[in-house]
Amino acid sequence: MAVPIAPRKKATNAASKIPGMVKSLISEAHRAKQEGRPTAYSFICSGYDEIIRAMDITPIWVENFAGVCAAKREAPRFLERAEAGNFSRSLCTYATCGLGFDLLREELGQMPPSAPWGGQVRPDVMLGSGQMICDPRYKWFQAAQQLMPDVPVYVTNAFYPPFEDDIDYREIIDHYVRYMTEELRGLVRFLEKNTRRKMDWDRLSELVDLTDRTWTLIHNTYELRKAVPTPMDTGDAMNTMVPVAFMMATQQCYDFFTELYAELQDRIANKIGVIPEEKYRLMWGGGLPSWFALSDFNYFWSKGAVFPVETTYRVIEDMAALDIPRVSDPLEHIAWRYIKYFLRWHDAARKRPGSHPDVERLILYIEDYKIDGIVIHEAFSCRSWHPGLLWQLSVLKKIYKPVPVLTLGRDGKSSQEYREVPSLVLESDIVDISSYSEADTHNRIDAFIATLESQKK
Amino acid sequence: MVKSGVTGEGLSIAEKYYREYGYRARELKKQGKKVIGYICAFVPLEMLSAAGVVPVRIKGNVREPITRADAEMETIVCPLIRSCFDLALKGKYEFLDGLVVPHSCDSVTRTYDIWKSNLKLPFCHFLNVPHSTSEPSLKFFRAMLELFRNSLEKFTGKEISDRDLVRAIKLHNRNRALMRQLYELRKSDPPLISGVEMTRVLVAAMSLPVDESNSLLESIIREVKARNKPTAKKSARIMVIGAQVDDTALMEIIEENDASVVIDDLCIGTKIYWPDVAVNDDPLGSLATRYLEDLMCPRTYRDKTGTNEEYVEERFGHIGRFIREYKVNGVVLYIYKYCDPYGFEVPDIKRYIEALNIPVLYLEDEYSLSSIGRLKTRVQAFLEIMG
Repeated sequence: MAVPIAPRKKATNAASKIPGMVKSLISEAHRAKQEGRPTAYSFICSGYDEIIRAMDITPIWVENFAGVCAAKREAPRFLERAEAGNFSRSLCTYATCGLGFDLLREELGQMPPSAPWGGQVRPDVMLGSGQMICDPRYKWFQAAQQLMPDVPVYVTNAFYPPFEDDIDYREIIDHYVRYMTEELRGLVRFLEKNTRRKMDWDRLSELVDLTDRTWTLIHNTYELRKAVPTPMDTGDAMNTMVPVAFMMATQQCYDFFTELYAELQDRIANKIGVIPEEKYRLMWGGGLPSWFALSDFNYFWSKGAVFPVETTYRVIEDMAALDIPRVSDPLEHIAWRYIKYFLRWHDAARKRPGSHPDVERLILYIEDYKIDGIVIHEAFSCRSWHPGLLWQLSVLKKIYKPVPVLTLGRDGKSSQEYREVPSLVLESDIVDISSYSEADTHNRIDAFIATLESQKK
Repeated sequence: MVKSGVTGEGLSIAEKYYREYGYRARELKKQGKKVIGYICAFVPLEMLSAAGVVPVRIKGNVREPITRADAEMETIVCPLIRSCFDLALKGKYEFLDGLVVPHSCDSVTRTYDIWKSNLKLPFCHFLNVPHSTSEPSLKFFRAMLELFRNSLEKFTGKEISDRDLVRAIKLHNRNRALMRQLYELRKSDPPLISGVEMTRVLVAAMSLPVDESNSLLESIIREVKARNKPTAKKSARIMVIGAQVDDTALMEIIEENDASVVIDDLCIGTKIYWPDVAVNDDPLGSLATRYLEDLMCPRTYRDKTGTNEEYVEERFGHIGRFIREYKVNGVVLYIYKYCDPYGFEVPDIKRYIEALNIPVLYLEDEYSLSSIGRLKTRVQAFLEIMG
């Protein structure tokens, strides 16, 4: 079922460069392969960006490639190949798209015909990740290894303390930092052995410093979106996630955000918003997007709704706020940064009865970005980021009612009451377009806009 | 014998505990005992036993539609977990004083907060479990077990000494040995105990204090050994592989079709009853090794050492051994929808078993009887083809 792709209209100049950047990420892997430089199947947000960059290993971002396949509507044939190979359609479709592609490439002994942007090259190593969430990060490459038995796999564990009533994370954080540091050290040993590249520790320290600065720069850039009208919205952020997720620890990423920062400042100074008249400011409150239907943001814009903020892919923080101890070991620093990011909202949650760090983050953004409503997307194939979103909305509803509404009683007297921030749940997938209905999505958006409208009155 | 008010032979007691799940926990609760629910196979029961609480594994009910859970728990979550949560919301686990949830898979981990905020139990603990078996992983897991011990001590007000732990480990090792003895009685042809009966025993054991479970198993072993006229010999000997299959429905379908379920690789069955815990002066270290290294669950990644064939053997060799020892001639690979850890293993497991010249029926299913008609048709066709 082909759905016409509507062009996106309101992108920042910086974001309009993204498609070219994605293409060069994929072609860089091809170039590395041709030149005999080591390549690695890699996952985003795994804490190893600086390590692979410092060792001149070219990452092949497997989630990126699946997203490209989805955006170009090329995923179905790879999903079908995976399903024919007994990978269930209910599994993570990033993974099944990638495995389907690998199956075809290994069977053919060459790139499948018409592979998007030249296809995904065969890696020299695969770098899995055992995290608090996302089972596919350690299962996907284990399955892929059965297609490529000669390609070694390493799984780095990177955990953080859960939010518990009786345990403050400060009591136990050292265990987590020590563990992740040792796991990263194991990764360096693995890479040295399997790629014959020696770690350049000075280079690693430089890249760790660059990453720290980049995190703060991205944070400051995204903070500019608080302006009314907002100079950039989530439609763009789903593109600017490319340097955040796939180019961290590179000067190119830093330069990109320097440019974006300047552009947003300029837009703010000239009061240039994403749309001429902002009626509703929304938050993308969770869920990975449908990469084949990013044009839905256009539909929101047509209704006067913009997204100044999102939780998805905002995987950076202001380094000063993270308050990381000074340590000399760059691997330990990486571990502290990674872990403290996930603990950022713990203290706020402790102060509000019935709350939770994820909910506190929503509240912070609602207040900072003057949010009128929340939109979440439930992608059916991903149990990593999506379970818990409904519950977060439910908790938010119970503990936070910031919207003043005037009601008229039977006695004719008006009174003010406070209601929760309204929310919309969209349902589809990240890659599998067969789960998507444009008509249903637009109907839901229409109904949500009507709710927002009634609250504004 | 079992110290409850229930009378009768072991198998009938097991059936009662299966049908009225949590029966004994409710009785013990009335007597002042604390009852702690837990999810999945990664919670060290030895710790709960040493703390003097009654451990009850949370199970769902395939016969009850999910009507309350969906408001806060997404339908893409493992259907077993949704069913468990639905029952909890409906008050079926009203006897719990606490809940322990391990970091086993996404569906379990991501829903911990949902359980916690809805059940509002006096005690909740999330046990972090690494995904690998590396040396740092074992060290970290040991530290997490220490934290679990401290947390339980605070809740119960009782110190859990190493000596308490060793005592509990011995009791649980005894429990596992007894269960293995019962499995031995399935090796004969026909087996002395059916798959349906075995499922009832396994489920009953999930809800009992270890000493009571041991007494019950001793009684059941005596009873089964004494059977001089076992069920009729059937043409197929089936192994069932999957996660928490805690209802007899699937076994009934198989055994109604001229087949016997003789062995399993389920996380309420051989997965938890085969590996013992080493008895030594470092009980936490022994528990860490047993639950992380020895428990063969797809949620734990094992580094590849040696050739690919050796790696496959390391991951699935136990299945091959069961097939040989129990003279299995057909395997039902029964996987719940939305199960990523198992789902990604399916092609590898299937390939491994088929290489042994054993046919495999792969079924992906919801945790619900609504699909029973389709299941029957698939199983019947599979058994017919096996001849």
